[in-house]
Amino acid sequence: MSEIVGKKLAARPSLWNEDVEEAYRFQLAGYRDETEYLTVNSGNAVDRWPHNNYVKKLQRKDGRFYYFSRARECLEKDLPKVKLYND
Amino acid sequence: MAAVEAEGFTIKAGMKNSKVKSPPKAGAFKERPAKPTSFRKFYDRGDFPIALEHDTKGNKIAWKVEIEKLDYHHYLPLFFDGMCETTHPYEFFARQGVHDMLEHGGSKILPVIPQLIIPIKNALHTRNPRVICTTLKVLQHLVVSAEMVGEAMVPYYRQILPILNIYKNKNRELHL
Repeated sequence: MSEIVGKKLAARPSLWNEDVEEAYRFQLAGYRDETEYLTVNSGNAVDRWPHNNYVKKLQRKDGRFYYFSRARECLEKDLPKVKLYND
Repeated sequence: MAAVEAEGFTIKAGMKNSKVKSPPKAGAFKERPAKPTSFRKFYDRGDFPIALEHDTKGNKIAWKVEIEKLDYHHYLPLFFDGMCETTHPYEFFARQGVHDMLEHGGSKILPVIPQLIIPIKNALHTRNPRVICTTLKVLQHLVVSAEMVGEAMVPYYRQILPILNIYKNKNRELHL
């Protein structure tokens, strides 16, 4: 399933992979993807787990912090909520 | 002659036609609700650095302060104390708070181990299956959260293991 969002085409994943996990973590914190996060939090690099490069910590737009586990957090039931954007 | 019911260790029990009643239950598995916890008191006062949200997306706590800057000696035992809680939102915030602090604590966890034993013991002693399951999962997370944590807990086995001994034969479904 896909929909037009502004000038970007967003697709919903049907299978989990690391890109889906990445998008899930950013979208849980209220961002579209890493690009938007770096734009909003100018200069602050994304904190990542060293062993698998998954996102470890994000600062939300209201200043609060979300922390993520080492392992996969996006379950199969969460896949329909994730949006994958193509620039 | 009809059998006569009698209490154990009585003269009547010694009669030929007596049937001794089974002993009363000792209450080993009877749930013992915990006292109001410090976690609940601090949470209600708003002393925790966690944001209260009513429309939480997913199962996450939004922290007001970075976990790396928290005083683990003060906060980690308080969150562990909240494991006795069974009602929302205390149960959720205690469980998720412990998870986040253990996941991101690193070397700050080991010095706090002695202060965690009493809350762990209190949670296990509630005899509540849901609380015991949560506590066991927290113990699993604790021992892998940092180096030497398992070894640090050895002196405290005598406080934690007896309650687990009661449940060692309970291998069927828990029906939570």
